[in-house]
Amino acid sequence: SAVQSTQYRNAILVSNRQKGNPLLKYIRNVRWNFAEIMCDYLLGQSTCALYLSLRYHLLHPDYLYYRIRELQKNFKLRIILCHVDVEDVVKPLLEVTRTALLHDCTLLCAWSLEECGRYLETIKVYEKKPADLIQGQMDTDYISRISHALTSIRHVNKTDVVTLGSTFGSLSHIMDASMEDLARCPGIGERKVKRLYDTFHEPFRRAV
Amino acid sequence: MVQFHEQIITELLEDTNGGLVILSSGLALCKLISSFISLHHSSQGSLLILSASLSQKSQISYHLLDHAAQNPNPNSDHPVTVTPAEITSDLPAQNRYSLYSSGGVSFITSRILIVDLLTSKLPTSLLAGVVILNAHLLSETCTEAFIVRIVRSLNKNVCVRAFSDRPQAMVSGFAKAERIMKSLFIRKLHLWPRFQVYVSQELESDPPEVVDIRIPMSKYMMGIQKAIIEVMDACLKEMRKTNKVDVEDLTVENGLFKSFDEIVRKQLDPIWHTLGKKTKQLVTDLKTLRKLLDYLVRYDAVTYLKYLDSLRASESFRSVWIFAESSYKIFDYAKKRVYRLMRSDGVRLSVVDNGKLSKKRKVKDINNEAIGEANSNVTVEEVLEEPPKWKVLRDVLEEIEQHRQQKDQAGEDHSEQDSGYGTVLVACKDERTCMQLEDSIKHDPSNVMHDEWEKYLLSKVELQSLNTRKKKDAKQPKGIGMLNGVAPVTVGQNSEGSIINKQERDALLAAASRFTNLKKIDTDGGDVLEKEARSGGIGRGRGRGKSIGKSSNGSNTRTRSKKREADNLTAEDMRNRKPDSEEEQKNETEMAAVSGFTRSTEGKYSDKPVLRQHSYEAEVTDAINAKPLPPIHFHALETQQEILDFLKPSVIIVYHPDMTFVREIEVYKAENPSIKVKVYFLFYEDSTEVQKFEASIRRENSAFESLIRQKSIMMIPIDQEEQCLGLNSAVDPLGLSLQNSVTRKAGGRKDAEKEMQVIVDMREFMSSLPNVLHQKGMRIIPVTLEVGDYILSPLICVERKSIQDLFMSFASGRLYHQAEMMTRYYRIPVLLIEFSQDKSFSFQSASDIGDDVTPYNITSKLSLLVLHFPRLRILWSRSLHATAEIFASLKANQDEPDLAKATRVGVPSENGIVESDVRAENYNTSAVEFLRRLPGVTDANYRTIMDGCKSLAELALLPVEKLAQLMGGPKAAKTLRDFLDAKYPTLV
Repeated sequence: SAVQSTQYRNAILVSNRQKGNPLLKYIRNVRWNFAEIMCDYLLGQSTCALYLSLRYHLLHPDYLYYRIRELQKNFKLRIILCHVDVEDVVKPLLEVTRTALLHDCTLLCAWSLEECGRYLETIKVYEKKPADLIQGQMDTDYISRISHALTSIRHVNKTDVVTLGSTFGSLSHIMDASMEDLARCPGIGERKVKRLYDTFHEPFRRAV
Repeated sequence: MVQFHEQIITELLEDTNGGLVILSSGLALCKLISSFISLHHSSQGSLLILSASLSQKSQISYHLLDHAAQNPNPNSDHPVTVTPAEITSDLPAQNRYSLYSSGGVSFITSRILIVDLLTSKLPTSLLAGVVILNAHLLSETCTEAFIVRIVRSLNKNVCVRAFSDRPQAMVSGFAKAERIMKSLFIRKLHLWPRFQVYVSQELESDPPEVVDIRIPMSKYMMGIQKAIIEVMDACLKEMRKTNKVDVEDLTVENGLFKSFDEIVRKQLDPIWHTLGKKTKQLVTDLKTLRKLLDYLVRYDAVTYLKYLDSLRASESFRSVWIFAESSYKIFDYAKKRVYRLMRSDGVRLSVVDNGKLSKKRKVKDINNEAIGEANSNVTVEEVLEEPPKWKVLRDVLEEIEQHRQQKDQAGEDHSEQDSGYGTVLVACKDERTCMQLEDSIKHDPSNVMHDEWEKYLLSKVELQSLNTRKKKDAKQPKGIGMLNGVAPVTVGQNSEGSIINKQERDALLAAASRFTNLKKIDTDGGDVLEKEARSGGIGRGRGRGKSIGKSSNGSNTRTRSKKREADNLTAEDMRNRKPDSEEEQKNETEMAAVSGFTRSTEGKYSDKPVLRQHSYEAEVTDAINAKPLPPIHFHALETQQEILDFLKPSVIIVYHPDMTFVREIEVYKAENPSIKVKVYFLFYEDSTEVQKFEASIRRENSAFESLIRQKSIMMIPIDQEEQCLGLNSAVDPLGLSLQNSVTRKAGGRKDAEKEMQVIVDMREFMSSLPNVLHQKGMRIIPVTLEVGDYILSPLICVERKSIQDLFMSFASGRLYHQAEMMTRYYRIPVLLIEFSQDKSFSFQSASDIGDDVTPYNITSKLSLLVLHFPRLRILWSRSLHATAEIFASLKANQDEPDLAKATRVGVPSENGIVESDVRAENYNTSAVEFLRRLPGVTDANYRTIMDGCKSLAELALLPVEKLAQLMGGPKAAKTLRDFLDAKYPTLV
């Protein structure tokens, strides 16, 4: 039983109801086992997911509601993985969205079975991962950082970053450049010059 | 005022309901509008001008002043300020109110207007009309339409008039003109193409004299152009193979235009997620290629090469075009226009002569041998091809001056128009060309080229990280070379050819280091030569569009010119003898002359500035050539200033052909029949420049034809006013709701029983969602929110993200922060992911998903967000309208949101920031975003940094000690300072 429990901890548990779902083919980066569970996929100690195909929802509009009601309250994160497999999505998606929101479920949409599978895998793999990936940390090398900063200015692209960098030599020189010098850079037109210049020279807080 | 303007205005005034005017570009739209405005009288009420661009505003104001000066109206009892006031959110509310009720004319931003309308700060009864510029930018859901709907519902007599001079933009999409008219409740469409009979009669009655000069491009320019078109063609062929786009529109001719991207994107957007990487890359490649073609005729050889280098360094290794056979030629020719490699014994190393593979291999071997023998043997020889137009421009100018002098001698009396007659207007596309041309005319063209060359070389010093990174990329040839099916060959070729070989790099670096050394010497010593040079008048005139006075070629240089006459003669001789290798020869003679010159004058600085010598020499040649030139004014079309009226020139040289400018000249001539106008066009023979110019006229004409057709079958319901009122009554702005609740039509709408309210952040009025929500019957309450974008109920707070925003704010970490704040303050925090109606409803194509869980995939980021914020709800919306429906359905059994509470949420009260309406406007958001992306800057310290220094430019100069104070520690301060000062790694 100890063996089994470690096995359970590292694998996605799949409800027997999901037998025959072609989605299972696409769970390839994480192990999974069938088990007797209420939810469709058990992704962690307090994370579970229900799978819903929009096409199925159109045939059985009440299905989702009953499935959610069955779930116990002891999940922190309850995901509805919605496979968008119909052309006309607006109405069914609205219903699903509403049901999910009113019953404390998080809705994730995927457009292919691969993508559905990838969500399940990712959520399992990232179960304990810190959030720094989405907290704005990025590549720490100089070029990426300077690109990251300069491209925050609208219309400035990576080629412009190279042009600016090689023309002015350093970021502080770019930030201090005159409109004319900026205009001399190939590929930097009037509009970009103005945006760049304004960003650097207009005060952070405008006078009231 | 031209007559057809009068006709336009008369027609427009006939219908008090308003109208939409579309006229050809270049037909002085701003003048038309200012004439129209000048007819406005304050007793009618206020007139608001919406969505005018900066240059349009200044032009309109300028013409109004002009108009007032010409027609002083003594009867006017209202000394109305002549130029329109400007209403922005910076203006306090009382001031705005007094302007609204003044009966005057004002420019206003749509954002502040809609907010003032929704909060009933604008007395609509005092409003006479709304003028909307740039009507081609409107859509059914835009804020302007929202404004018009509300204004009309409150005051039916307000007259809406919209203008556009971009007919091409009016025909993109299905019945665009009709839909715009409907959304503005306008019934009349006025079309004024250039071929309209009144217009053409007036403009063609006394047309300006036109001289069309076709200049052959240099051999290499032709080569590059041909190569680019070949690559484009290959890309297009690939594109056709995908069977995803309509083939008919895909021609190289279309490829020359911006609209090409639009054609392709419009077709591909809805299925974007089903496309493979290759197709997407093709679309971007085509865009890049189009730019290259454009820059070929606009930039000089060195700048062009520099641009190519930057491009190569930044382009992702997936780019298809960079590895195509013909692309190799682009790089090769571009290089050959600038420099050659020489062995020090004088034998030229022809690196890859005509792009044939066999030869290349051979050369490669030679190169390798050369490296083996003596690495330092190879030097760079400058070629520095000048743009052919430069010389022609000079010739034309000289000819003009000659003419003028002849006339002067003939004693013709033109003293009256003399002010205008004197100056020659040279019109080019951009500021950059202006500056360069000015330099090349004022001094010597080769001097300008050398300047660029020096800059180019200097930027090459210290090549580092970029290059090594590139190499790594090249090792994994994913998706390379599908073109022409020659994948293996091109890959091999790439690693040898397109990345500049070591030897060449060394040679360039050597040349560059020569310059740097020279610089050092320059700055070290008290440099006599430099001073001399400066006092000799070489100082480059950097002034924007400064006119060169006649005196610049004055007599003081003439004495010296005689001294050098002999030398120059020989130089001239040599030039004539070998026309083919002219540049080379010229260079050599110059070099010889230069070295001789320095030896004789400044013996002790024997190995001194090559550049200095050149500029000196340049001055000398300048003086010799100095046939007198007329005063010249250089004008950049980009700046969109109305130079013609200001300068009143009689000779105009159109350096870069541009349809709009040509029309402006026609209008100018028609308005000033007394001035004899002569126009020179400088075209490159057989270039895409010509094709582009001609096609732009064709395109405009066909746009008008299609508009005329549309107009004949247009169906605008007369009672649309009623419909609009019916819709609005349920949802009037604050204060009026009581009144309206009585007269409201139910219209079978169930949810009209309860008036729904949504609190909307001010910043959100840039988007169309508030408009659509309002259309749906919700009351919109604009305020400034610290947390969230839309508050639907006391529990529900929504952060809206368009797809692009979503990716960006994941990358910057903003979304995480926003989710954190929402979760902290609201029971039901909601992230709304809003897809665009006409784009695909999906994040990525199945082929983009990949085999593994990768951290940078959107799936991973979203999963992580969901895991960290289990309470965060996600709404997936297909379109704006779907969003409105979702909102309505979510609000159905919730309480209405509390305004006072919503505005207090998340506001940091302890640091005493005063909350006001316009908080959002008070930040330079672009600067703040930039600041927050700098290393060392964190959520915790960015506010104090903004308190401690005014702008980014100031920040760039702060010493590390001061930074340490602001950033709360020396470590962060050092990180930032080091980053700011770090030398940007240059590339070869």
